[in-house]
Amino acid sequence: MQHFGPNGAAAGLGPTTADIKIECADCLKPCIQSQNRVSSASTATSAASTVARATAANTSVQNVAYSPDGQLLAVTTSGAQKALLLYRSRPENARLLSTRPLSRASSAVRFCSDSSSVLVTDKTGDCYQYDCVEVEAPPRLLLGHLSVVYDILWSEDQQHIITCDRDDKIRVTNYPATFDIHSYCLGHREFVSGLALLTEQHIASASGDKTLRVWNYIQGKELLQHELPAPAVRLLVRQLEPEKVFQAAVLFYEHVDALGLYRLERSSDDTWSVTATQLVCAEAGSWSISNFTLTSDRIYITGAENERLSLRVYDIATGQPASSGVPEGWLKMVLDGLGANEEGAPPFIPEDLSVWFKKRFDNVSDYLERKKRRIEEQQQQKCG
Amino acid sequence: MVATGGQAQDQSQNQEPDVLNPTSAVTGLPQKRYYRQRAHSNPIADHSFDYPARPEDVDWRSMYPSIQQGQQVSFADVGCGYGGFLVTLGEMFPEKLSIGMEIRVKVSDYVVDRIAALRRRSADTGAYQNIACLRTNAMKYLPNYFSKGQLEKMFFLYPDPHFKRAKHKWRIINQALLSEYAYVLRKGGLVYTMTDVEDLHKWIVTHMEEHPLYERLTEEEANADPITPKLYQSSEEGAKVVRNKGDHFLAIFRRL
Repeated sequence: MQHFGPNGAAAGLGPTTADIKIECADCLKPCIQSQNRVSSASTATSAASTVARATAANTSVQNVAYSPDGQLLAVTTSGAQKALLLYRSRPENARLLSTRPLSRASSAVRFCSDSSSVLVTDKTGDCYQYDCVEVEAPPRLLLGHLSVVYDILWSEDQQHIITCDRDDKIRVTNYPATFDIHSYCLGHREFVSGLALLTEQHIASASGDKTLRVWNYIQGKELLQHELPAPAVRLLVRQLEPEKVFQAAVLFYEHVDALGLYRLERSSDDTWSVTATQLVCAEAGSWSISNFTLTSDRIYITGAENERLSLRVYDIATGQPASSGVPEGWLKMVLDGLGANEEGAPPFIPEDLSVWFKKRFDNVSDYLERKKRRIEEQQQQKCG
Repeated sequence: MVATGGQAQDQSQNQEPDVLNPTSAVTGLPQKRYYRQRAHSNPIADHSFDYPARPEDVDWRSMYPSIQQGQQVSFADVGCGYGGFLVTLGEMFPEKLSIGMEIRVKVSDYVVDRIAALRRRSADTGAYQNIACLRTNAMKYLPNYFSKGQLEKMFFLYPDPHFKRAKHKWRIINQALLSEYAYVLRKGGLVYTMTDVEDLHKWIVTHMEEHPLYERLTEEEANADPITPKLYQSSEEGAKVVRNKGDHFLAIFRRL
């Protein structure tokens, strides 16, 4: 089970990730303008260095995912060249297996549990399956939403694909019969930004409506609703005790604390509760945070500082910058590998997430007002 | 407030409900000229819809004041326009609740006013208590209103053809949406489609037949359905086509 980050980011976390060597044809300037939705700091950095060399100047990394078996790395690019790049990440040297074009920029990427294929969703809500055995095979359209899909899960038994979108919905689709919708998990009142598998029947979700929820997704039933101090834009879940205790980490939208850590406990079949809460400031406000991942003792956070990519490590227990366990010079080495500190490197500007919130424009009140006036006038004429 | 039915409520609280409607002195029904609106609407954009988070949050009583405990909406007329066919459905199936769904502000308001007027006019018989109109985007919010397998029949009558290829994703029948319709339809439920645009008809038939959860009714089955003749007469669009002696293309599909 990979409970670490939406995309199995646990694989290779830590200083070793920077050692992945990628040999690509085009050794172009690194470009990591908007590595939005990258699933974790470390996958982001290693993959970004991968793609930094593989992509043209105005193309940037969009999403990154490790396969659960740790063998494959999927990277999507946006901008001038939209593509899905599939790499073999092990044993020693990573190798580009295939480059398949995407019709639109991706919004989420996820491998299935046996690593045989990868799902890519895009901004129009379409979800495509790319085979990872036949690495050149054209994609298969599996399902479609009417708005951006922000996250995607594939149940461990590969019977269900779970997607969440900007229209407050979590949809559970049968697999491989993806034309058949199994259920919806409804209740959120804003975009659903993140999903995570907990057990064979339970998922967690985080939303712009400032709630963290737990669902029985088979039944489409809400089991827990927990208020958050701010809208949630990312969710990571780490398993502490199988089937029972989990740590949910939520990245907040514009809040004095960057992160919230919640201990989720299951006391019986369908009973869940939050038994501990910890808020992590992570110097929020002083830099523009874009993403994070966490291990048992540390939180890795990426963001922009003066339009430069920055990677910082915090101690999970104290929420303070990590003083031990991070080899000296490692952060600099990772950032140098990405060319983040190079002269003339393009600015790093995290995605503007304010557009995720629905714009409400009122096209009703005005009409009703005019109707009322018209009726009053008619009434006066009658009386007059 | 979840439903446009709230407006009907405001009216009933008014001492002179009739005054609120620019009604015809002859028929007592609202006059369409006050509610005209262009035929096209962008179904993908954000609109100011108040929609329920879940079907159990819908206040059906505000739309169907005499709804029985446990009674559910069975028929949905998606893109009901001025509600001509919805009214027919209400008359044909007095025991069933039918809902009209319309995205355009003025047009849905017309249907709300029309139903209110029909109810007032037939207060003695209690007719038209079984129909209501909802201003919503059916492409986005069907699962917010209906639970899995709830609907018996869905109607897509004279939908916006969205001729341009770039706008085909706005069509009310497309591959992704057919799965959503299959979700709210019960097994054996029916989808009625009618258009006067042959290309759109072909598009609908192709997509429905490609979808594993639908099969098309044979011509005999379609002709034997008591609703079929009404489809040609009831809707304003249909009547217009009949007047112009144009072609209609009907196709009915069964949810498997």
